[in-house]
Amino acid sequence: MRNALLVVMLLLTVFIRTGFAEDKELKIFIWSEYMDEKKFSADFKAATGIKVKIDIYENNEEMIAKLQAGGINQYDIIVPSDYVLPALISQKLIQPLDHSKIPNLKNVEEKFQHIPYDPGNKYAVPWQWGSVGLFYRKDKVSPEAVKSWSVLFDPKKQGGSFWFMDSVRDTMSIALLYLGYDANSANPQELKKAAELLAATKKTRYCQGFKTGVGGKNDVTAGRAALAVVYNGDAMRDINTDPKNLGFIIPREGSTLFVDLMAIPAKAPHPDAAHKWINFILDPKRGAMLSNYNRYATPNHASLPYIIPKDLKNDGIYPTPDSMKRLHSTKDLGKASRILDEAWTRVKSD
Amino acid sequence: MKAAHPVIKSLALGTMGFLYLPLFGVAVYSVNKAEKGLLWKGFTLDWYLQLFSNEWILSTALNTLALAVVSTLIATVLGTLVAIGINRFPWSKKANSMLDIMLHIPVVTPDIIMAGALVVAFGLLRVLSNVFEPGMFDMIIAHITFQIAFVALVVRSRLMSIGHDVEEAARDLFATNWYVLRRVMIPLMLPGVVAGAMLAFTLSLDDFVLSFFTAGPDSQTLPLYIYAAVRKGVTPEIHALSTLVVLITVVLVVGAERMSRKKEAC
Amino acid sequence: MPNRLFIWRGELTTRGSLTKRGLSFLSSGMLWLALFLIVPTLVFMALSFADRGEYGEIIWKFTVENYQRLMGYSVFGWTPDYLYILWRSVVVAGLTTLISVLLSYPLSFFIASRPPRSRYLWLTLVIVPFWTNMVIRAYAWFLILAPELPFAKVAAFLGLVPSGSALYPSPIAVYLGMVSMFLPFVTLPLYSSVERLDWSLVEAAQDLYSSRTRVFFKAILPQTLPGLSVGVVLTFVPAMGTFIVPDLLGGAKYMLVGNLIQQQFGASRDWPFGAAVSMALMILTMISLQLYRRRGEEIELL
Repeated sequence: MRNALLVVMLLLTVFIRTGFAEDKELKIFIWSEYMDEKKFSADFKAATGIKVKIDIYENNEEMIAKLQAGGINQYDIIVPSDYVLPALISQKLIQPLDHSKIPNLKNVEEKFQHIPYDPGNKYAVPWQWGSVGLFYRKDKVSPEAVKSWSVLFDPKKQGGSFWFMDSVRDTMSIALLYLGYDANSANPQELKKAAELLAATKKTRYCQGFKTGVGGKNDVTAGRAALAVVYNGDAMRDINTDPKNLGFIIPREGSTLFVDLMAIPAKAPHPDAAHKWINFILDPKRGAMLSNYNRYATPNHASLPYIIPKDLKNDGIYPTPDSMKRLHSTKDLGKASRILDEAWTRVKSD
Repeated sequence: MKAAHPVIKSLALGTMGFLYLPLFGVAVYSVNKAEKGLLWKGFTLDWYLQLFSNEWILSTALNTLALAVVSTLIATVLGTLVAIGINRFPWSKKANSMLDIMLHIPVVTPDIIMAGALVVAFGLLRVLSNVFEPGMFDMIIAHITFQIAFVALVVRSRLMSIGHDVEEAARDLFATNWYVLRRVMIPLMLPGVVAGAMLAFTLSLDDFVLSFFTAGPDSQTLPLYIYAAVRKGVTPEIHALSTLVVLITVVLVVGAERMSRKKEAC
Repeated sequence: MPNRLFIWRGELTTRGSLTKRGLSFLSSGMLWLALFLIVPTLVFMALSFADRGEYGEIIWKFTVENYQRLMGYSVFGWTPDYLYILWRSVVVAGLTTLISVLLSYPLSFFIASRPPRSRYLWLTLVIVPFWTNMVIRAYAWFLILAPELPFAKVAAFLGLVPSGSALYPSPIAVYLGMVSMFLPFVTLPLYSSVERLDWSLVEAAQDLYSSRTRVFFKAILPQTLPGLSVGVVLTFVPAMGTFIVPDLLGGAKYMLVGNLIQQQFGASRDWPFGAAVSMALMILTMISLQLYRRRGEEIELL
């Protein structure tokens, strides 16, 4: 009798789980504060009748970890950066796109149709692109000091409390660039020096530690910190609310450039809805709405006429060729990724 | 007993203050009008009202509750059976100590090790069957696993305090095994079973680590929600939610205590 | 042993049939534990000897590299980082337990000195934080340690933190969080022993010894040892492996072994290494339990 009871209980739990699955649903796994979630969900539902559910992550590695731990059939859309595409493709975590379902693909700017890691947009379609830089409070740090990363790394030049970004590639690149090495170096000696620099800096009084880009940005805006390493779009949004006191700059040693793309996990429950979403975003006006909200740069050629003119001229969002020289794309390191992850664990645990 | 020395009294009261200071802070700021910062801007219940219209929080709360109820039910049944099995039968000393150790493992092991082991186990089981996705199913299994041990230990200590005279007396009166179990053992065990169930229930409601490692996108629980929200930045809405959780805990604790006091009387 | 009839608790039965019945009670629960506790732990142990692919996949090839890394031998030469984290976790757990014990004694004495009616009230007051969610109790310190409040201001004045920033993340914040988290774990078991103290013995000791501390160590401590031991074990072991408090209040500046493990299952995507670190934690746990057992007390936790 008690065994029968047990079986009933277990069946109950299975039904509780499966009973809530819906047909007309789209599950998006995306960076936090990357779009106007309420509006876009409502608009998408109005246009297609599909309900949107959003789950958040704060860096690429976290997202991949989730997929590896069983998330490939729980999400329909993910938004990885370009350098993790090889990892996703080689581990069969994402599926090839059906271009016939994405007529708006033609709107994508020429150079983004041929990104090195996914030529022809076989697996992913560009979403936004941007850079990493220093977000700071003008009332706590001098504009001279922030022209170099030494305001973070040099104990003699530190002026205010700050947060590093909790993202392995971006932060390691900044340390490597500051030391004069290549941003994508996989040389163990160089990585060791970069890791040691970060670990030593972490221990100084002014360094608060590592926080997500959005978290660090919130702290600076609230006045709890003087500087933070953040993504440019997040910074721009907050600068608009308080331009007198907040500023953003890419220090002279340089920083990283990223392209984020939309991809569909290998066993996505609603791939059809996912394709509809991609097409929805690539619509010219929609793409502009996205960029005008999150203040990143759009890869959508047809959206450019609808972008806020001030943003188009903003060096922080659409870098001038001069600024582009200081920006380095993050590269996939293949086998060497492992050393990088080990270095990062060391930085965090020292 | 003699009255406490003033130094002891002040230390004790200071310690209690220390325990409650943070919670008090949360409660105070849950009714503060200010959305950011710590200046007092007036009393308001807005944040609480906002909570109740937040669909995601409501579904999260429901998940937490469903998880606790289901896992407690199953764990209580299994745990009680194990307790009876250990206590009421003659096992060799070696077998007894082995069973004892097995029951104590979930209690003393840091839960992060259990969580890691389960993540790996589910990862392998997922290859066999799709049902082992991160989600409610996995979470229920994880919770039951540590709850069984707690329930079993509580019920076993209750059984030990009952002693075996009653059982012998019943048998002397020609009771069958089934009768002994149903009419004698279970009524006497019940306070222990209920105590074990309540312990398991609260442990499940409060659990963070195991849930963190086994949750899926649809099965977030309140502790996970609060953790994710707090990492981005504290808002008064979270304070309101936390204060509510604390109040519910108070109700549960007081209720549990009242119930156990009543049952102890018989 | 021949299957003779004998009397067990008033029942005339054979050993064989008793064993059969006993097993039928035990089987479902024990099977569950075996399947979802023992086997995963064994697999986990095996995982600690596995290799990690370039993007974080598990490669089931035998290697002791994870343990080598744990001992400090990595691509970057020898560093004691990970061993230091293990050490730090032990120290933090130990100090937390010590401070909790020091605070729990006065608290227990105080509660025991109350009239029986209000004792329940005080005990409830201790139990409520004990049952309140860890995440809430940890983040609540964000408010107390915020820059606007006096505590952070005093610390800034003393130069411990830059002015205008909060008192977290910092070791102080971690200790505050840990002690407030684990204090009830010590107080509740200790109190049950204190309640049963034979005060006549204490009075006798007061007549014999002139110094207060000797009275404590000779008359009070031995009597409260059972409760104290339970409290210490219930605090020290979980404190070593805790990760919420160091994560929220220490950030990456003050990592404990729990954070290290959690990181391997998250962004670092190195499950085999995480398993190896977990094994190290497991060994530390077993050593502490053994030391505790050596003192002669049987672990009677509940």
